[in-house]
Amino acid sequence: MDQIASTQLLLSALILASIYALVALGLNLIYGTMRLLNVAHGDLMMLGGYFSYWVFQLVGIGPLWSMFGAVLLTAILGAACYLSIVRYVIGNRELAARLEANSLLIFFGFAIIIQNGLSMAFTSDPRSYGYLNSILAVGDARVELNRLAVLGLGTVASAGCVLFFQFSRFGLATRALIQQRDAASLVGINADRIQLLVFCVGFGMAGLAGSLVSMTETVTPFGGFPYTISAFVVIILGGLGNLGGGILGAVLLAIIEIYGVALTSAAYRSILLYGVFITVLLIRPQGLLGRSAR
Amino acid sequence: MSNLLEATDINAGYGEMQILKHVNFVIREGAITAVIGSNGAGKTTLMRALSGLIALQSGAIHFDGQMIGKLPAYERLDIGLALVPEGRLVFPDFTVHETLRVGAFARRAHAGWKARRDQMYALFPRLLQRRSSRAGSLSGGEQQMLALARGLMSMPKLLLLDEPSLGLAPMMADEVFSQLRAIRDQGITICIVEQNVQAALGLADYGYVFEDGQVRMEGPAADLLGLGSIRESYLGL
Repeated sequence: MDQIASTQLLLSALILASIYALVALGLNLIYGTMRLLNVAHGDLMMLGGYFSYWVFQLVGIGPLWSMFGAVLLTAILGAACYLSIVRYVIGNRELAARLEANSLLIFFGFAIIIQNGLSMAFTSDPRSYGYLNSILAVGDARVELNRLAVLGLGTVASAGCVLFFQFSRFGLATRALIQQRDAASLVGINADRIQLLVFCVGFGMAGLAGSLVSMTETVTPFGGFPYTISAFVVIILGGLGNLGGGILGAVLLAIIEIYGVALTSAAYRSILLYGVFITVLLIRPQGLLGRSAR
Repeated sequence: MSNLLEATDINAGYGEMQILKHVNFVIREGAITAVIGSNGAGKTTLMRALSGLIALQSGAIHFDGQMIGKLPAYERLDIGLALVPEGRLVFPDFTVHETLRVGAFARRAHAGWKARRDQMYALFPRLLQRRSSRAGSLSGGEQQMLALARGLMSMPKLLLLDEPSLGLAPMMADEVFSQLRAIRDQGITICIVEQNVQAALGLADYGYVFEDGQVRMEGPAADLLGLGSIRESYLGL
């Protein structure tokens, strides 16, 4: 029982929550605004992770700086993806009718390209590096400095993103678009521009998450998929398209995962994750903070 | 009075389906124009075409001396053309307050939006009472007022209204109609599509009767109200 009440576990849960929140935000934004399921989200993270890995290996600059580059790289990729494929699909009447299903195929293809591209370029060896890895004592817990950095930066970025969408003009327009597309254009909102920006921000968040995670975890070409799954569970917990709900979902999932594994064993991690997923879908498919379908 | 909007020989519809057939349609500045007709006559399609929600198949629309036939809907707000759509289409999760803020999203409406919001609260005291409520939780009448106020927040020269009394209790509908008069008196041109023919023609200066996607009749509203055929077909007299 001592172990359950320990600062160590609490800290682990918070760190995991901050990662989940950040990963889920980008996914949630794109799904909420356009009903596009970006199954390549975790792979974009790996792209950000590789970027920070190579910048560290080649020029010795750590992710605290290279994360900006990772955001820029993935955001540009987001813009390219939107302008080249998604805009065309949305604009085409027949394709747009099957948008949600088509988006799965598009992003699945995108995921395969990223995975194999990374694998070809960098081999499939797991990559990691030591950065900010001195160990600190927090209360009676011991934690590496880089994990605290993930917690701090992840929290700041997630909170900043949620506040931005809550209070900025662009955020107001995005939330209007999420609720009512026709009405949004009737108040003068240019859906095309909002969608482009949402793609940049959504992809950029994935890049940022990957860059941060690369400090503490190994990066592999095929390592993104578990993150995609976790992010899906998080946003379904919180309510699809509900950014604030996603933060709550991230905290909940992290607590369930960390404490669940501590109480049982690491072998149960997947069972817990999918168990929560299926339970929520059965009992409250609209998510904890979501409202029933309109 | 000059023409604020002129639609010339417009054809419009959804995909392959053509609804509006060779429609010529004029809205005079400062007046209230009513569009009446049975269900499926193309009234809503006309509103969607004028506001840019659907593209024209052919024809031209002039607004305030500008060709707007190919302008996307969101840019029509910038030149002062707003639609209060059928079914109101409120943003269900926005509060009344947020709705009015986003209503002033168009470039021309940025400046002074707070003062205009206060004007809206003066015009619709009920909205002031419910300013922190979610739009989705408002009653039908309140949602209609909110949609109307949202449209006015964009500082339109022309306000298009699609079935503003649909689903409202008679008293509520009367209230909406009397507010339309007040809005017209502020110098905003109005075009209204209505099921309630008596009320619409009573309010309007000029009327159009649509049938099967075409203009069947037009004339001063008072004259249309007096016509036997109108009374028979639409008023059941």
